Amino acid sequence: MSFFKVNEKCNGCLACVQNCPAGALNYMDKDASRKIYHNLSLCARCGNCWRICPQAAIDFQQLLRGGWDEVIEMELIHCMVCGEPVYTTGVGKTLSEKLEREVAALCPEHKKSFPLNTWKRIAQGRGLHTGNGK
Amino acid sequence: MIVGTQKPLQEIVSSVSEYHKVLVVGCGTCVTVCLTGGDKEARRLAAALDQEFSRKENPPSFDVLTIERQCERDWIASFLEIPNDTDAILSLACGAGVQTLAAVYKDLPVIPALNTTFLGALDRPGEWNEKCVGCGDCILTHTGGICPVALCAKRLFNGPCGGTLNGKCEISAVIGREVDCAWYLIIERLSRLGKLDEYHKIRQPKDWSAETAAGPRTLVHTG
Repeated sequence: MSFFKVNEKCNGCLACVQNCPAGALNYMDKDASRKIYHNLSLCARCGNCWRICPQAAIDFQQLLRGGWDEVIEMELIHCMVCGEPVYTTGVGKTLSEKLEREVAALCPEHKKSFPLNTWKRIAQGRGLHTGNGK
Repeated sequence: MIVGTQKPLQEIVSSVSEYHKVLVVGCGTCVTVCLTGGDKEARRLAAALDQEFSRKENPPSFDVLTIERQCERDWIASFLEIPNDTDAILSLACGAGVQTLAAVYKDLPVIPALNTTFLGALDRPGEWNEKCVGCGDCILTHTGGICPVALCAKRLFNGPCGGTLNGKCEISAVIGREVDCAWYLIIERLSRLGKLDEYHKIRQPKDWSAETAAGPRTLVHTG
């Protein structure tokens, strides 16, 4: 998603591009069109563009509030007793490799309160997962 | 934000004249926003220095880089790529950034191109004004959100002195620009808020040990 948004009043005058102290705005004129670009990594979010825009075309609130971009999606392992998510399969795999043993999927609440085999029996009785989300 | 102003060009020229390859480093946060030490200013300064040295023998060369924050030691060590043969760094950061660069690059001289001037706010486009001195013991609760430590030339705590006239401080005539009397502003603001009783309360002396009187301050988050 774009964090830098302008409304229909933008007329492409380039005041924002010319006055951005961080060099986070740029433009390209090609054939019959002008495109304006924004680089969020360079943007200091100082609001200078919004402040000087003669058209009041910049939705600076959008740049301040933004939105959440999905970075990655991963499979979760749940507590074998209560079903609470505890970590991802990747974390479980890393833990097992570092500890050189299988790590039981237990949330902090159920981790130490009963011996592991007790929880396994309870979980099997309830038809819940008993390890690594399987 | 931290506000800095560029040193006079001749002072910078004198500081870098003994070196051969100088890296001019802009800082992408506070001084970018206050238009004195960002990438644009770093490039402009490098061009001005090139011009200054153009008629001298063996002039230094100037490369330019900008990093988002010069006050982050690990960022600098990981992401700032110093060109080979660089023999000095000219930093456009605040004093914290200059010292962080010096801590990371132990064998390179790091030269400030700015004077770090104050903690301020943008009151009008292009105009930053001092608001805070970082005294470490904030009293804004009692002064209507206006700081007498930063805004009163005498750092008075008990109201205006005899040098106030029509809401202006007596230093206005000396420094050649109008300066508001901090206590005039405070009393006006407390009146507006219906909290003038705050002005009449007797308070304990301020703890100045929270300022630099107790040595360099530090903030450590553990756990």
